Amino acid sequence: MTDDGERASSPEETLRLIERQRAATVKALNGDPLLLYTPWGVAWLLGFGAFFLHYGLHGVPYAPITWQLALGILLAAQLVAGAFMATGLVRLSSAIRGESSAKGMMYGYAWFVGMVLMTVINIRFSSMLPPEERGLMWSGVSLLVVAVLYMACGALYTQWPMFFMGVWVAAVNGLGVILGPGWHALLTAVLLGGGQIVTGILLRRRA
Amino acid sequence: MTSGDAAPELDPVIHAQARLRVMVTLSALGEGDEIAFPSLKDLLGMTAGNLSVHLTKLEEAGYVRITKTHRGRTPVTYVSMTTRGRLALEDYTKAIRSLLDSAGGNP
Repeated sequence: MTDDGERASSPEETLRLIERQRAATVKALNGDPLLLYTPWGVAWLLGFGAFFLHYGLHGVPYAPITWQLALGILLAAQLVAGAFMATGLVRLSSAIRGESSAKGMMYGYAWFVGMVLMTVINIRFSSMLPPEERGLMWSGVSLLVVAVLYMACGALYTQWPMFFMGVWVAAVNGLGVILGPGWHALLTAVLLGGGQIVTGILLRRRA
Repeated sequence: MTSGDAAPELDPVIHAQARLRVMVTLSALGEGDEIAFPSLKDLLGMTAGNLSVHLTKLEEAGYVRITKTHRGRTPVTYVSMTTRGRLALEDYTKAIRSLLDSAGGNP
């Protein structure tokens, strides 16, 4: 070689170099799992935790938290989580253009459309429900959208952890809706909120 | 290369550590995706000058495509891998693997 590109030495070393570089690139392009999962986990743990204290398991509240306060905590925490995620996505979208940024845009709009439709459906039907079931309808349907879009994200980017997180959200959500508002809030806070926190930490450690 | 019996030819354009790293990084992008030059530079930890030199070599070989465009008023350069580049990297990786096998070394 006559230029400054030093020769890669032995075949073993070359293969190792290829693997290392590929892993580093994939890691950089996928974003930090700690920022992707953990803030949502914290948001759900706090928000649904507040709802759980509001509902109680047997119809008696465990703490004097109104549903408005619980909802406020959940929305505020989700806003923070969304901001964490958005900073990562904006950084990525300025780096890459082409098919995957078109994919990302469509996926982003899918969230928006899903959440708008979820709101329309809930507004129409929740007023027909007894008051104690209204909150469950809202959280059940919104987690349906979340579960489906997590699985779609897994499919879109071939990310198994994201796909399984979607399956997990669907399963816990289904079980919680069957068991009632108090249980739904508890399971969502602990299994989904906690699950996302643990997933973020584990994936970060493994990376 | 002097690895004895009928060692496969290694593509000299790719067989340089810096350019191999560039190729591997670009191959990790989705097909039809381009990466902005500064981001590529950061991913690789190379200087702009050094990366430019290697990209020019790879472009001459037809392995990468360099697109100069504008985002608002600032000029941006995007880099992507061509199909030919993907094939070349595949062949190179295969050749390295077979070298390893024929050396009978530990996998």
